[in-house]
Amino acid sequence: MIRSVYILGEQGNIVYSKDYAKSESAESIVEFLVNLTQFLRTVDLEEKTEFMNLAAQRFFYAVKGHFTFVFVADKADDSSQMEEKMEQLVDIFIKDFSELPDPATQMDGFDAKVDEIAVTMVKVAILGYAGVGKTTTLHLLRGETLPLVHDPTIGVSIKKLPEEISTANIVLWDLAGQSRFSILWAKMVANAQVVIIVTDSTLENVLRSKKLVQLVKDEVPDAKVIGIANKQDLPTALTPERVGQILAIPTYELVAIDISYRDRLIQIIRRAILEGKAEAAAA
Amino acid sequence: MPDAVFVVQLDDLQGFVVQKRHPTTLILSEKKLNLIFYEHQQDIEESLKVSEIEDMQIASYWDERHPGWFVCYVLRPDDDVEMIREDLTSSARFILELMKEAPDRVDLGEILQRGSGLEVLSEEQLFASIFLTPSTALLLEKMQEEGVERAAKLGIWLKDQIQSETIELREAMAPLMDAGIVKVEMIGKTAEVVFLLKDVFSYRAPPVDSLSFALQSFPGIVEDYKQRVGAFFTPPPPSKGYNPTLPVDDPNSPIMEDRRKLSGILVKSLYYKILKALRSRPMTLAELEEKTGLPNEVLGSVLWTFESERIATQFKEQELWALVTNPTIEAFFPEYVLPLVSTKISEKQISQEIASRYLDHLGRTWSEPA
Repeated sequence: MIRSVYILGEQGNIVYSKDYAKSESAESIVEFLVNLTQFLRTVDLEEKTEFMNLAAQRFFYAVKGHFTFVFVADKADDSSQMEEKMEQLVDIFIKDFSELPDPATQMDGFDAKVDEIAVTMVKVAILGYAGVGKTTTLHLLRGETLPLVHDPTIGVSIKKLPEEISTANIVLWDLAGQSRFSILWAKMVANAQVVIIVTDSTLENVLRSKKLVQLVKDEVPDAKVIGIANKQDLPTALTPERVGQILAIPTYELVAIDISYRDRLIQIIRRAILEGKAEAAAA
Repeated sequence: MPDAVFVVQLDDLQGFVVQKRHPTTLILSEKKLNLIFYEHQQDIEESLKVSEIEDMQIASYWDERHPGWFVCYVLRPDDDVEMIREDLTSSARFILELMKEAPDRVDLGEILQRGSGLEVLSEEQLFASIFLTPSTALLLEKMQEEGVERAAKLGIWLKDQIQSETIELREAMAPLMDAGIVKVEMIGKTAEVVFLLKDVFSYRAPPVDSLSFALQSFPGIVEDYKQRVGAFFTPPPPSKGYNPTLPVDDPNSPIMEDRRKLSGILVKSLYYKILKALRSRPMTLAELEEKTGLPNEVLGSVLWTFESERIATQFKEQELWALVTNPTIEAFFPEYVLPLVSTKISEKQISQEIASRYLDHLGRTWSEPA
């Protein structure tokens, strides 16, 4: 996955940068990139994308005109896919932005284009107290048969959604809801683009879940947060509207054991991802 | 020796990634990794914890300098954890540092076989970390001027200096407290007071021990070696030579820049291990490999850095590496604070109680052990 994107100018100045995930010390990366840019001035890459390994990461780079383009990625990344993405990045930048007198300050719209190229993985965290149906929701999303016996999640269970959304892989983080695992929640939601807060739609659980909404807003303020009013088939269930009012987040109904809800839920996640992207671009 | 060893990283997006395992046939479940990680989230200090997970006795190591990473050993039924705790801890530190420096060169089997390890951070390394955070270095300078100061006042001063409302005094102060440079204490019910107990001086010392050793054991390099050291410390005029004691106000001056550079090297434990080895005597690459347990490629890259930073030099013919300067940070008694304290009392800036507590702390820090 692409962890960071950098575009450097002729003097090694950073024209554009964006981080998508935590990487090694950002300061030493910048120092390294400045040196790399200077070195690349002395060689001809013939418009090709090349790479080099540095510690646990792989740096893909290309030079066009006065600019050096760099992806900080993982060693496991497919180099032909990275080359393709690099070509797209170079083309867009050279065509629309490189001629600007001060590209570093006049890059409206570029961010969203970079996202389209670089976002290869989106993290969706599923959070909620024990027994509300988080793992069942995960199974539903993956189109899997539901287990007959309740097996509480330990720590976190991480699975991929079979479908891609906007060419990105969706990684679902199903966080254990038992209170002993609450010390993990803040860490585990880090870098999530979407957080789904699952409730069992009982008044008691929904009121408790307000704390989770606050935790998510504190830890990942940029994430899109959506509520799920699960177990709507039970007579004691509050309506999704009421749950949404209490949690103060957009909330949707669900019966996680009913496969017919799958497509609807995937659409909700898709919309949240796209809205999150649009909001980030507007910001 | 443990049956198996593995290194795990919790990646924000991909989850638990087993970065290395030995033997490669070792199979690990998500549940196992979760339980190990959970064990270490209950405290933030460096720790080696032993847990019984799915019929395996696993010793896992975690420290705050490598967040999200842990090294785990699958123990044998007859392993006495207390007997091997120190070895496992030291080897885990070594593995994590090497994973950071050269992940491709990490051979867990070989590390276990050789018993390679890293000690806990030395006092000198703790001192070095002060100069890597600008706000911490700034606080040290302020404490050199004040000797003793109320934390609240320091907090306001720091925010003003950094021009940031979000800077946390405790965070900026932490490296100074960890290194024993300052002590923070509540005096009375409301006054939190910071005391400067030690001052530090960072410089490049001449490699005296290494030169003496060369004189005895490598007469073939002595003249050349002396010349190389001399060229740094006492170059012919008009160069003025190396003098780190010249007062400098400019934070970007070459001396300050050099101090930051040296600190950056000292805090890296693998670099420090090589530096320590070279402090006593010149060594060949093979000797360094034997002494440090580091792979050749890592040694080569660190020595190249040392050479470019004028820390080490190579005698190609004899295949020896030797220090040309010895980066050193030493603590000393801040005697200059005594008149400051006296002035502060007479001007009623501090109470008698604070002054007497300060003298107590200084006495305890600097008195010879009985």
